[in-house]
Amino acid sequence: MSDTPQSEPRRSDDRSGADDATAAAAAGSTDAAAAAVSSKTGGIAGPPGGPGGVDGDEPAVARTVGESDEQLQDAWTDYEFDGDAKVSVSDLDTYYGEERALESVSLDIPAESVTALIGPSGCGKSTFLRCLNRMNDRIRGARVEGRVALDDRDVYGDGVNLVELRRQVGMVFQEPNPFPKSIRDNISYGPRKHGDLETGLLARLLGRDDRDAERDLVERALRRAALWDEVSDRLGDNALGLSGGQQQRLCIARCLAVDPDVILMDEPASALDPVATAKIEDLIEELAEEYTVVVVTHNMQQAARISDQTAVFLTGGRLAEYDATDAIFQNPQSQRVEDYVAGKFG
Amino acid sequence: MGTATKTTLATGESVVGAVTSRTVLGVTAATVVLAVACLMQWVAPGGAVVGIPVATLLGGGLAVAGCGIAVLGAGSRLGYIETTPSRATSLAAGCVVGMLWAVSGGVATTVAVGGGDAWLPVAVVGGVAGALATVLPREDAGATLPAAAVIVGWGGAIAASGGGGGWTWAPAWSSAVFPGTEIVPVVAVGGALLAAWSGASAHAGFGAEGRQAGAYALVGAVVVGTLSVLVLLVGFVVLKGITPVLTGASLTGGTLGLPFVDAAVPWPTLPFVTNQTGGLYVTIPGVFPALVGTLWLVFGAVVAAVPLGIGAAVFLTEYAERGRFTQLVEVATNGLWSTPSIVFGLFGLAFLVPRLSGGNSILVGQLVLGCMLLPLVLLTCREALLAVPDAHRDASAALGVTKWQTIRSVVVPAAMPGTITGVILGVGRIAGETAPLLLVFGGAPYPSNTPDVLGSFSLMAQPPFVTNDALLAPASALPYQLYTTITAGVFPKDEFTTAAFGWGTALVLLAVVIGLYAVGIASRRYFRRKLHHE
Amino acid sequence: MMRRVKRTVAARVTDPVVGVARSAREYRSRTGDTAVAVQAVICGSLGAAFVAFLVGSQWTVFPAGVFLATTVVGWRREQAATGKAVTFLMTVGTVGVLALIVAFLLVRSVPAVEHMGVGLLGRTADPLWAARDGGVYSLAPMLVGTAITTCIATVIATPVGIAGAVFISEIAPPRVRDVVKPGIELMAGIPSITYGFIGLTVLNQYFYAEFRTPTIGSYLAAGAMIGVMALPTVVTISEDALAAVPESVKSGALAMGSTPWQTTKSVTLPAGLSGVSAGVLLGVGRAMGETMAATVMLTHTKGFPSPVFDVFSQYGETLTTVIAFEGGNASGVHMSALFAGGVVLFVTVMALSVGSQYVEWRMHRKLGGET
Repeated sequence: MSDTPQSEPRRSDDRSGADDATAAAAAGSTDAAAAAVSSKTGGIAGPPGGPGGVDGDEPAVARTVGESDEQLQDAWTDYEFDGDAKVSVSDLDTYYGEERALESVSLDIPAESVTALIGPSGCGKSTFLRCLNRMNDRIRGARVEGRVALDDRDVYGDGVNLVELRRQVGMVFQEPNPFPKSIRDNISYGPRKHGDLETGLLARLLGRDDRDAERDLVERALRRAALWDEVSDRLGDNALGLSGGQQQRLCIARCLAVDPDVILMDEPASALDPVATAKIEDLIEELAEEYTVVVVTHNMQQAARISDQTAVFLTGGRLAEYDATDAIFQNPQSQRVEDYVAGKFG
Repeated sequence: MGTATKTTLATGESVVGAVTSRTVLGVTAATVVLAVACLMQWVAPGGAVVGIPVATLLGGGLAVAGCGIAVLGAGSRLGYIETTPSRATSLAAGCVVGMLWAVSGGVATTVAVGGGDAWLPVAVVGGVAGALATVLPREDAGATLPAAAVIVGWGGAIAASGGGGGWTWAPAWSSAVFPGTEIVPVVAVGGALLAAWSGASAHAGFGAEGRQAGAYALVGAVVVGTLSVLVLLVGFVVLKGITPVLTGASLTGGTLGLPFVDAAVPWPTLPFVTNQTGGLYVTIPGVFPALVGTLWLVFGAVVAAVPLGIGAAVFLTEYAERGRFTQLVEVATNGLWSTPSIVFGLFGLAFLVPRLSGGNSILVGQLVLGCMLLPLVLLTCREALLAVPDAHRDASAALGVTKWQTIRSVVVPAAMPGTITGVILGVGRIAGETAPLLLVFGGAPYPSNTPDVLGSFSLMAQPPFVTNDALLAPASALPYQLYTTITAGVFPKDEFTTAAFGWGTALVLLAVVIGLYAVGIASRRYFRRKLHHE
Repeated sequence: MMRRVKRTVAARVTDPVVGVARSAREYRSRTGDTAVAVQAVICGSLGAAFVAFLVGSQWTVFPAGVFLATTVVGWRREQAATGKAVTFLMTVGTVGVLALIVAFLLVRSVPAVEHMGVGLLGRTADPLWAARDGGVYSLAPMLVGTAITTCIATVIATPVGIAGAVFISEIAPPRVRDVVKPGIELMAGIPSITYGFIGLTVLNQYFYAEFRTPTIGSYLAAGAMIGVMALPTVVTISEDALAAVPESVKSGALAMGSTPWQTTKSVTLPAGLSGVSAGVLLGVGRAMGETMAATVMLTHTKGFPSPVFDVFSQYGETLTTVIAFEGGNASGVHMSALFAGGVVLFVTVMALSVGSQYVEWRMHRKLGGET
């Protein structure tokens, strides 16, 4: 595992605080312009340790004990990279009933890289992740405002087909959640449900049985998830009999079998032991060659090890800072982010 | 793996398709309503609604729905309507449609040829053809056209039958005959369900979404049907029972003497509930003795069962080690819970009656109902106890509090809400229980006095020293009285017919039970909400 | 309504006798003398009271009094010990009720078995049920009747019940669920005699008038009504089972892009299948034990419909209805035959209950990760 991000060439600048506002304004979007204005009024010089901004109409944000009351600046979240954004989020607000879980979050996620979302518990990083494939739709009283775009197509637009969206944006959960079925059926579940594979009695009767294709697919997905060697001789066994780490890799394999563009991972290693965690981390780095991976983690070392860029969320659902992982961990612009990264709270 | 589909997130919707499928679903719903009205005999199948014969409406509705489905399927198959069909329809759908083709073919042959064995080959060929026509083509054609053929065929037959009047089917295996007037609406409902499934699937554009829509349409229809049955049941009792219950009732007809002041204020009266059943001077007979009898039964059952159930649940959860013993008790409790009530009655008859009263009595009734309530109390209390987090127990123990004190002051209070809810729901169940009462409890069906349990305690010189004649005598209870009214009852008074008195009793009983259930469900919701907020 | 909680039982390797002796020693060393004395008196006196009650002695009141007095005194002095002893006795009492039911049903049915032999269950020749010639009592027609009504009820309650459970647990939006679920529970609460009354006045008359059944009252009408009554059992238990399938697994399927219905059909229902079948089994048990609606609606004519699936015949008697209808004024061998019917009923329903507990236990084990 290296600390060197793989997407080095994509970053355009090694920015200083003052450059940010102009860079953001140059981006041209209205919110970026607003960000430029607010960062000017709030004091452009926002080096670590600087006093908080004094925006009068800024609501008081709940803070974790130990956090300084520094005012966040929108400029700190403007991260520039080459190429198009795979996922582009602007002004995202999320509410659970009356409670606001995310507050005007804007960030662009580059393709084929690992983006880590870190922050203290309750900061909304998982909520943010679940906004990307609309899993929050399932939560009673959850409400999402703002725009999330996948390849410039609005995820929350009218007539969006959730099935199609989730085919393209896969997800791996915190707790391994294999289906109580055989290992093989776990892998082929998605393609079958999407009609890419036909198995079963009818298909067999009609001579359309895709069992060979299924076998290939299962092997490919399991190899890709580095699980093949461990389970190739017992594909028919119930997946719940696997160890936790194997189950989680099975869930990743299951996700890969659908061939998504983006893979969301919600603390994928938090329920696992160190050995299994290391395997998952290696896997994530490999996956970034083909897929856009977004990982929520509470483990800062893990974020530093595996990610190309890191977004730091702070209590109250605000995105505090978003930058190349090196920059976040070595030279954060926000005092609160520095404190968080240094372990002073969280 | 499907890279071609990745270009779009949203699925397009064609206006023609949407309008057609909405029409199909609307016509289908109207057909079902009309057919159910026929079955309920609100509308005569041979009659007419707004000047149009019912049979024409039913048949026409099915035909329109069927044609609409065919249009949707063909339009999608030929590319005029944008959909996302799968490669084939499911095997289950193929079986169902094949079966319907077989039945339709067989019946049509029998009607055309008029008997003989010709129907069998036709049915077999038709069934296979229908199944293949469903399964072989792409889903948009397979899930619509064969089903549409069935629906249109049935619709035409219904319209041609003129409501099925005068025609009957008397199969040899049945003691009953099936008149056309009943078969027609049943066929119409069946055809409409098929149309709902196929139409909903087409409405959602086939594919995975389409199957979901089809399945939801069927499940929704079933649930709506179930709830309608519930509403009809309750509504029927209320409708029939409200007249006797309100006989002589008035909001201000009675008087209420105020204590300490020599005055009286107007007060609502409900003689059906507050009057004696028998007796010479009662003009409006009521169910008061039975109501009191039911209350005593429930009271006794709760007194007997609740402490026992809670105690056992506490021992099982807090003291007993998980093992053979707890497993045995769990199996026994669940067995008791599903034991038929009449078996409890037999048990009371064999064990309690000879030892306690020598005949039917309130006391034995109470104990038998208590035995029925016991497993429910135990199960709900145990569930509530297990739901108390171990952290509470640990916290209490860490403060140096003894185990018993912990149980008494931490665990049991935390489990009380769940237990109380369970007990209320269980009481609702036993309050309406009749079967065991027939064997161990019931006395005269129309008593002229109320059991005076409290005033009947007396001391005596030999063991068991205390006795209570009222407790050891039979009485009447609401469900028991309803039973006797239904079966043997010749109601002795002129005010009500036997049936009217029965419906009145049924309504009072229903009110008692529903009241208990409402309290139980409301308390459960209250406690749950409280728990979630904390 | 009830989710039974099962835990895997730790395997006991020790010889039970040794184990009991050891735990007795441990128990003695942990408990004070007074406490042991109190517990002994409480248990002993209640046991004596029970024995006295069993033989019908009028002296029952003395040991019972000793029990009450010791409990009151013990509650003051040794509350923990008393509490433990009393709750233990309550547990034993619960099992005891079941044991007493079994014992008394068996004892009272012995005369009928002696009198009729195998014919009690198997006699199909006339007379089937008559007091003349020393009494002939064959339960065979009632067994057939119970089988017919139970089948009809199951055919109605199973698909509708599972559909209802799926609707409540998987499909309904929260607001709708808040109405439908209590509604279904209320259906379980409506007294069976009320169902019977409605069935008698509506269903029986409908079939008699429209389908010209030979009698007012048929197996089909009663079976349909029983099916409606068994429905809530199937719905509540199946719904519990579906709700017990972890939310994370359902989310996993949805996040893969399967539709909610695909998730229900391919993940939730298979995972909760054991619980659903437990619900169906219990529903069958309920249908079998249902008494009042059938008693009111059936004709109480004993015989075998021909063919057996002629559900409109003039015959109508089940195990439960015969007990309820004749139990009030039967005696001797007749009464004993009714008890024998009770035994058959009890054994069948108990087997269904144990079976349903077993499949449910297996489901929890399976979801727990053991294969």
